[in-house]
Amino acid sequence: MATSYSSDALQRFSRKHIPLLYYIRKPIFLLISLALIIVYACFLPNPQETSAFFFYLNLSVLIAVLVCWCVIILADWEKPEYVKMLVAFFLLSMLALLFYRFSGADWARLIHFFFNFPIMKGSWHVLFRGLSTTVILSICSFFSCVFVGLLIAIVRSFKYHSVNLLITMYVDIFRSIPVIVLMVVLFFVFPFLGMYLNSYLTTFTALTLSYGAYTAETFRAGLETVSSGQVEAARSLGLSRWQTLRKITIPQAVPIVIPVLTGNMIAMMKDTAIASIVATPELLKSARELYTAKTSPTPLICAAIIFLAVLLPLVRLVNHMERRVNKSGPHY
Amino acid sequence: MDPIIRVESLHKSFRDLHVLRGVSIEVNRSEVVSFIGRSGSGKSTLLRCINRLEEPTSGEIWIDGVNIHEPYIDINKVRAEIGMVFQSFNLFPHMTAIDNIMLAPVCVRKISRQEAKERGLSLLEKVGLAEKANEYPEKLSGGQRQRVAIARALAMQPRIMFFDEPTSALDPEMVGEVLDVMAQMASEGMTMLIVSHEMGFIREAADRVLFLDEGKILEEGTPDDIFNRPQFPVTRDFLGKVL
Ligand SMILES: Nc1ncnc2c1ncn2[C@@H]1O[C@H](COP(=O)(O)OP(=O)(O)OP(=O)(O)O)[C@@H](O)[C@H]1O
Ligand SMILES: [Mg+2]
Repeated sequence: MATSYSSDALQRFSRKHIPLLYYIRKPIFLLISLALIIVYACFLPNPQETSAFFFYLNLSVLIAVLVCWCVIILADWEKPEYVKMLVAFFLLSMLALLFYRFSGADWARLIHFFFNFPIMKGSWHVLFRGLSTTVILSICSFFSCVFVGLLIAIVRSFKYHSVNLLITMYVDIFRSIPVIVLMVVLFFVFPFLGMYLNSYLTTFTALTLSYGAYTAETFRAGLETVSSGQVEAARSLGLSRWQTLRKITIPQAVPIVIPVLTGNMIAMMKDTAIASIVATPELLKSARELYTAKTSPTPLICAAIIFLAVLLPLVRLVNHMERRVNKSGPHY
Repeated sequence: MDPIIRVESLHKSFRDLHVLRGVSIEVNRSEVVSFIGRSGSGKSTLLRCINRLEEPTSGEIWIDGVNIHEPYIDINKVRAEIGMVFQSFNLFPHMTAIDNIMLAPVCVRKISRQEAKERGLSLLEKVGLAEKANEYPEKLSGGQRQRVAIARALAMQPRIMFFDEPTSALDPEMVGEVLDVMAQMASEGMTMLIVSHEMGFIREAADRVLFLDEGKILEEGTPDDIFNRPQFPVTRDFLGKVL
């Protein structure tokens, strides 16, 4: 009895047709179509010999088919993960290959202009001095905006309405002014008010004001995750407001706040590049000076690479910390 | 003898919601007083007003003969002598059981960590959790958490204990272990104010029962009076539902 079913149920539960996708997803079909695509790619018409229209038509069809083929595999949850990795890699390299082959770029000239590393000989120290300015400026600004942000968040948590109104105004205003505008105003407008800030101080102040507002919001969000019951329990034991903050609220908020804070730090470090418009000799400014001196954009590429080398590990670190905070699922 | 707690015509409003409408109570030393009443009648608010977790709108409160609204009173010192146990335990999740217990004695009473630890351990033993000293709250069952919370309150050597529905968030089989601890405290002469729906326990342990209705004390008396001879239809109605 247990294994039998009424033929009626079989009929009710059956599909009308087996969907086309079922056949398309079979490995044999996929392999054959892949072979066809590769053959097609090899025999693509030469752009010099045919009309541009005919060439681009063929190229578009090829790319469309290629993308479709990859999507069919990537969207199939039954295919193992490593196959999908391979397919994604294959798609990217095919696209790169097609671009390299047909884009008409002058690769030799490109490399000569942008990746002419030999001309950097003897000038690296300029870039690294720029980097050290960037790092020192961001670290100083970071600590001061953590201080400002924490102070604001703590004062705010006491819920004095008039003070909170002022704080909200500060936070909202400085979150809506672009950092670049703030720097220009501080540097070029404030002297008319009799306040002279040198370029370092301008950058420091602008970053502190602007990121202080973000940091305040970050801390507030962190403090708000701690339930009011925690505060009540602490106060009912006789702990003062300050002790409650130090022993109960802040320790519980910190693990949540740290990844966001590091993210702010990264954004701020990138934003120090803006300081080059007020002539702070940070990394970008140094690179631009070299660019003028050497009449080659290679220093700019080098600056980009240095930024990447410094910030990418930090970005990974944030990822790692976030994973630890909400311990769920894989993160890439 | 002076009452240890005296509350006189206490009013509390949240914006336009008038929760407490003139409550006056006197509680004597070593007395166990139980508050009952419908949800929303203001029982929690009353307890929270007495140690000023909630600021009363008007009314006077004396603890041990001292008006706690006088400017020279440090409310933290008053609260240090009033232990409070919450429905939702409110243990500090980032600390182990023993650290939860040691926190206030070290921070507020300024006793040495060593001494605080010894006292904490003996309190854990008293509530039957000596072996859980180094566990974090998330590893404890509800009943164990509440017993740690009681030990945490006791670590300040309070003269008064407030319990706000200490067993309402517990699974039925864990209610007993918490009530046992409370009964033991009552027998040791602690002054206790208890909000609870555990009528059996109240009947056993309480010296006096107060029935709150719409922010007023409608009726008060011994458990025997209230449970067996309620005066008002509202009280009878309420008891009919919970007994
Ligand atoms: N912080 C607050 N802000 C606004 N209203 C509140 C606040 N705390 C309590 N109230 C309101 O006051 C009333 C009484 O609340 P209270 O918690 O004292 O009732 P209760 O008798 O303890 O009820 P329960 O048995 O459900 O715990 C409720 O209507 C509640 O909504
Ligand atoms: Mg309540």
